Amino acid sequence: MKRICAIFLGVAMLFPPLVLLSGCKGSEKPDVILKVYNWEEYIDEGDEGTLIYDELHEFDEKGKPVLDASGNHVHIESDLVNDDFFEWYEETTGIPLSPEANPLLEDFELWYEKTYGIKVQVEYSTFGTNEDMYNEIVLGNEYDLLCPSDYMIMKLAAEGRLEKYDESFFDESDENNYYIRNVSPFIREKFETNGGLEGKDYSWSEYAAGYMWGTTGFVYNPEIISEETLKELDWEVYIEKGDKFTNKITAKDNVRDTYFAALGLAFLEELTDLKSRRDAGEIDEETYIFEITRIFNDTSEETIERVEPILNEIKKNIYSFETDTGKSDLVNGTINLNYAWSGDAVYAMDVAEEENDCMFNYFVPESGSNLWFDGWVMPKGVTERGTKHAAQAFVNFMSMPYNAMRNSYYIGYTSAIAGENAEMLDYADYLYGEEESEDTVEYNLSWFFDDEDAVIFADEEQATRRQLYAQYPPEEVMARCAVMDFYGAEANARINELWSRVKAETLDAWAIIVICVTVAAIVLFFVVVKFGGKIDFFRRKPKKGYRKI
Amino acid sequence: MKFRFSRKTLGIPYAVFLLFFVIIPMLVILFYAFTTTETDASGAEHFSFALSNFGKFFSDPTKLSTIVYSLVIALVTTVICLLIAYPVAYILAMSKLKKKFVILMLFVLPMWINFVLRVNALREIFNLLSLSPAFEWLQSANYFKTIFGMVFDFLPFMILPLYTTIMKIDKSLYEASSDLGGNALTTFTRVTLPLSMPGIMSGVTMVFLPSMTNYVVSDMLGNAKVTIIGKFIYDYFCNDWHMGSMVALILLIVVFLSTLLTGGFGSEENVRGANL
Repeated sequence: MKRICAIFLGVAMLFPPLVLLSGCKGSEKPDVILKVYNWEEYIDEGDEGTLIYDELHEFDEKGKPVLDASGNHVHIESDLVNDDFFEWYEETTGIPLSPEANPLLEDFELWYEKTYGIKVQVEYSTFGTNEDMYNEIVLGNEYDLLCPSDYMIMKLAAEGRLEKYDESFFDESDENNYYIRNVSPFIREKFETNGGLEGKDYSWSEYAAGYMWGTTGFVYNPEIISEETLKELDWEVYIEKGDKFTNKITAKDNVRDTYFAALGLAFLEELTDLKSRRDAGEIDEETYIFEITRIFNDTSEETIERVEPILNEIKKNIYSFETDTGKSDLVNGTINLNYAWSGDAVYAMDVAEEENDCMFNYFVPESGSNLWFDGWVMPKGVTERGTKHAAQAFVNFMSMPYNAMRNSYYIGYTSAIAGENAEMLDYADYLYGEEESEDTVEYNLSWFFDDEDAVIFADEEQATRRQLYAQYPPEEVMARCAVMDFYGAEANARINELWSRVKAETLDAWAIIVICVTVAAIVLFFVVVKFGGKIDFFRRKPKKGYRKI
Repeated sequence: MKFRFSRKTLGIPYAVFLLFFVIIPMLVILFYAFTTTETDASGAEHFSFALSNFGKFFSDPTKLSTIVYSLVIALVTTVICLLIAYPVAYILAMSKLKKKFVILMLFVLPMWINFVLRVNALREIFNLLSLSPAFEWLQSANYFKTIFGMVFDFLPFMILPLYTTIMKIDKSLYEASSDLGGNALTTFTRVTLPLSMPGIMSGVTMVFLPSMTNYVVSDMLGNAKVTIIGKFIYDYFCNDWHMGSMVALILLIVVFLSTLLTGGFGSEENVRGANL
């Protein structure tokens, strides 16, 4: 009897979770599952550290939210996120926005169902590098939407792994096509021309929709290294000797970014010459940008030969190859110069300001630097799976100006979205703008917004070397930045071999031989000691009076 | 046929695990190592048998140098670990302290903390030290920092097997040794050392092999300026799986040979008590 009771109890205990599980699945079954594969920390996930949250909640000195008597957050009035805004957001998206901030992915699910009447469920996963993502795709993992960088988009497109966006996606008359209506004309043009290298058809405007973009440059502490010194040295900071530079500068731990820097160093004269000829009016903008793009994408064998010793010299002079430790090393003073993507630069400047009360600056090499993009692409098979519509809608939803702000604020990078009515300018103004006065300068962003009135007033520091300069660079900086192409399979192999030669120490042939011989000798010795007893040849004769056994 | 449950049946789950997570991946590596991808005119990719990866590996001084560097780093790490761990384990095993497990625990405790976290902490300590003029040399001493990190990381793996083997040596053997006129030194060299050999071998295997491939340490403490074979394989798998597999295969052979030499495949009774 006891036993029967126990079995009965056991079964009863098993049941409730089963019932719960099936209950959930049964009633909420989605029509479409959208698999989004994005960079880590590359979307607004709601909660603390998000735009609405930071804007509406009062924080004490330690950065903790202030609570009222009943334990609720104290809400404050804000210019950007006020009552009108909440109303407007609910009207346009149909989603009631909570002051505690919703995760953007959930908002999308609500919006999609309300707009198109289809229940969608987003399966969101993340990757760490473009190469990791590429391997996943090649292995046959199915995703509906990816967010690779520029060169990886070209590579995927060239290999025929991508699906084109529908023509209707680019139809500006559809009010739900937020992407095409809000994207910056500058980004659109770059996606069309893409540097415009001859003989390479890597146009990605049909395959990709812009998400984030930026430049690369150096974050530095102006109290240690002056801007004049940097302007003078330009890319040569990488090989400059002295207390301030040797062992005090970082390079990126991937071949493309470091090779780019080494090219800047190898062709510094040509680049400077081109720039002065452009400034003198001898060549036009277009020729100039074409020429520097050509230089920064040069992977011929002669160039690699020329760049290799430079890379070795860089390796000797730098503190580290890094991907994410540079920011903290700079903040705690281990290094003086960190080669960084603009979004990371903004982050480093913010942290230094908040934690150490220390003002860092951002410098984009005068002779030319890198302009990069991350964009949404759809791998082949989305049509067959019936997820293409949802994928495109996802891109559109992310491109709603306010959602672009949310993402941009959360990630710290610059959104490709400008806004139909230059809404993103309000965002830039809200972050960095000041009242017009003697201390402020006019900061012209018309190149990005394609709107002559796109001007904000900002502190001079902000406009020439700090966060605003990094996040929304002035036109003259953009005019000297080149897009890095996908090099092609053959050139890629060359570059990777070069990288492994640079990263590893290469011994002289004689040293290898000596070491190999020594190792072989040791191995032989061990073998003899271990197995010697079993081989007759090595057996010593037994002592007198003993028998061999 | 009637199914009869025997003790062997219990081994089936593990055999299945081995098949899927050891043997099949091994075969995949073997396959990739001896093939190349070729793209034909229509753009379709197909594999073809090739020995070119093998040839490329042994004709490239960079790849050979990396193997040599990894071997040297691993060897130095192992020797230092052994030199530190043996006296510790010996004193601990010989002492008559009642609570010696507390001391042992202190050595093993770091293993309970996440390894990346520990390496990161060490990195911060080095950074802090190098800010003072006396330790400025630390900034560029990447090989020193890498080996330091490896020793720091793998020391418990050396202490534990040594401690257990020395503990298990029959105490009457020491008495016999001194009865027969052996002094402390002779007792150590003729009794303790030979009998603790299985522990040494086990410790060496557990330190030597991982320190050849643990590139988290060389990346974080060596500022990614030290390249060991593990990082090399990782880099290759980002763009050329065939070469990556070949390097992995060669490493596997090196590992196999060194296990063979250190007696990792020795008879059961030799290693009794040495394994954790």
